[in-house]
Amino acid sequence: MSDVPAALPQQTETRARPSLRELVAATEIDLRLFGMVVALVAIVLGFGLATGGRYLEPANLITLSVQAAAVAIIATGMVLIIVSRNIDLSVGSIVGVVAMSYALLMTEYLPRILGFENPFTWIIALALGLAIGGFIGGLQGFIIAYVGVPSFVVTLGGLLILRGLVWVMSSGASVSGLDPTFQLLGGGPEGSLGGTASWIVGAALCAGIVWLIVYNRRQRRKFGFPLRPAWAEVLLAGAGIGVTLLLVKIANDYLWPAPLAERYARENGITVPPGGLRIESGIPYPLLLVLVVTLLMAFIATRRRFGRYVFAIGGNPEAAELAGINTRLTIMKTYILLGVLCGLSAAIAAARLNGSTLDVGVGYELYVIAAAVIGGTSFAGGIGTIPGAVLGALVMQSLAYGVSFMGFSSPVQNMIAGIVLIVAVGFDSWNRRRAG
Amino acid sequence: MSRRRFPAIFAALFVAAAACQPGGGTGGGDCVVGVSWNNYQQPRWAKADEPAIKKAIEAGGGKYIRADAQDKEDVQLQDIDSLINQGAKVLIVLAKDNKAILPAIEKAKARNIPVIGYDRLIEDPSVFYITFDNEKVGTLMAQEVMKAKPKGTYVVIKGHKADPNADFLRGGMDKAGLKDAVAKGDITIAYEEYTDGWKTENAQKNMEAALAKTNNKVDAVLSENDSMAIGVVAALDKVGLAGTVPVSGQDGDEANLNNVAKGLQLVDVWKDAFALGETAGNAAVQLCKGAKLADLSAPSTLKEHVAPEKGAKAQPFTTPNGTTVQSIVLKPTPITAANLDLPISLGWITKDKACAGAKPDVAACK
Repeated sequence: MSDVPAALPQQTETRARPSLRELVAATEIDLRLFGMVVALVAIVLGFGLATGGRYLEPANLITLSVQAAAVAIIATGMVLIIVSRNIDLSVGSIVGVVAMSYALLMTEYLPRILGFENPFTWIIALALGLAIGGFIGGLQGFIIAYVGVPSFVVTLGGLLILRGLVWVMSSGASVSGLDPTFQLLGGGPEGSLGGTASWIVGAALCAGIVWLIVYNRRQRRKFGFPLRPAWAEVLLAGAGIGVTLLLVKIANDYLWPAPLAERYARENGITVPPGGLRIESGIPYPLLLVLVVTLLMAFIATRRRFGRYVFAIGGNPEAAELAGINTRLTIMKTYILLGVLCGLSAAIAAARLNGSTLDVGVGYELYVIAAAVIGGTSFAGGIGTIPGAVLGALVMQSLAYGVSFMGFSSPVQNMIAGIVLIVAVGFDSWNRRRAG
Repeated sequence: MSRRRFPAIFAALFVAAAACQPGGGTGGGDCVVGVSWNNYQQPRWAKADEPAIKKAIEAGGGKYIRADAQDKEDVQLQDIDSLINQGAKVLIVLAKDNKAILPAIEKAKARNIPVIGYDRLIEDPSVFYITFDNEKVGTLMAQEVMKAKPKGTYVVIKGHKADPNADFLRGGMDKAGLKDAVAKGDITIAYEEYTDGWKTENAQKNMEAALAKTNNKVDAVLSENDSMAIGVVAALDKVGLAGTVPVSGQDGDEANLNNVAKGLQLVDVWKDAFALGETAGNAAVQLCKGAKLADLSAPSTLKEHVAPEKGAKAQPFTTPNGTTVQSIVLKPTPITAANLDLPISLGWITKDKACAGAKPDVAACK
């Protein structure tokens, strides 16, 4: 860090008092993403005020985030689909098929082969489910990319076919009673990391943030790129660490509910202290999955050849093809990836329900597409970010949860979701036009 | 030789085809009953209602034709057109929406085709209504749950707002004494919400919100049907309350009856759909034979657990909007761990499925 002073004059000598806009620009923050974070915080605090602070209790914040997890995970994949100028309307039905597959595999097929309570049941079921999701996605992707049927048509067909398939698979019955380990994927206090492990994950994330900033700075210096001012680097690192630790703190402040803690104490022969047993829940597994998927997908989208190809195709399909990109294979891969993500999302949905019903996943396509679009993905192609889509999903769920929490009925919730969708995208286009 | 034979064969085929045309000719006794299904989203329709209707129609010498509207109002209107064009003499309609269906009812009326509103009310005095006593379903749910938890904090998970059943059921709960208990202060309703589309996932989200709102202090949950009860039980399980908090439901879904055996759901109000289908199919045959709406009656083969409380003959029924329709209203049956043997013995569910993982004290599973 010895060269930090050298970098400073270079940035500040042009003007003595830079404007706010220039200061923000110096941090190189993605303004759209930053705007989303501000909007999310405003919504959460707004509901907090409106409910006298009760909305801000850890139980509520954790519950609504877990409720958003299934949609958020698919939305990360939907970004790549929309960026490459396609669409997938079948995601909800894929979730339905895979969720029903998990339920049937774990209640009927696998126990026949492995017996009940086999420790491998859940992992085999999960692997098969992800494979089924990937296969369905790949099949649709193949028809879109190689046969040349428009994606809207193929996936609209998929939506209908697969929803029918859910019915056929279970002959119309709900299936309940999954593997206990698998159920942990659905979150809840038992399906969470616990206090200590959550702090470890938090610390690892903080270390990651610092490493990323230092690494970026080194790389920039190595290739002679302009450096961010030191204050901006420190500010970013500080903000990143602060937010991470705050979120871990919230997750850890969510204690095991008394009945569950008592059952745990009974089963493990612990005597409950007078004030009740205090067990910190920590980060729920579904949110951990969202975190991992977001980081992985953002890495794939921005740092891998496949991701850059997707954006190139979205920006200009003809140019991408002329540049030697195998556009068909790339498109098919985006659908395989989305299918696998649907499989993961279905695991969360099925684990949450401890089973599957005929309507699991119905309507997801709308929420997923809305999340991606609210998160700044453009239907014109070539533009979109993974973290934006995850934030989009969180924005929608915090609104829906807040509106329901305040006692508005479900039709009003739908109206508000629709208005937010149009306002968010409208504001975004206006902003983009203004920026020229 | 062979070449000359073709025209003859064609002619024969043509005559045969003309004779087979539905509605064509005056071949009396062809009682075609068209059934317009709203959807098959819930397991019961295809498992019980449809085969029972079909069996009763065929037993009366009629013919069963069907259409599935896939949960869409406009598709259902087209379906009914198509059933009429296929020569239906009587229509049985499971309406997606009790008002959107009215244009189709007008068409049937114009052709003198009697209509039976199956399970869901259709607001038209000329439509015969065959259903279970929905209000009673709510009453039975609340009765059983209040027997288990006479005092405490209640959560009410209601069905789809646009479906009149959601409010019938809620009204029935009040008739069981819920309203009085709330007024007396014995029961507090901490959370009450409609559930979009009766969906499991939405019910789960509502239940999670209720638990967060009450800090997990919930003593009983009145869920208006079974697929929502699955979501409710899942939400309760995540906080360690499943099995200690009584939950209601209706429909007798297999997973839910199993939950009754496991102690995760207290009561599942069962509407024996075999009996409902039999009643509707039987009524359709009576209508084919020219019976008037007011003269219809429930089949004499109906068992005690569903027998209409007001007798087998058609009764006038006043709808919430004040229309009077002729109706046969069957009696719902509350299934708890104590009488789980009833749906098993009637072949609604196998003992294996009902009893998997059952609590040791469930008599039906021994």
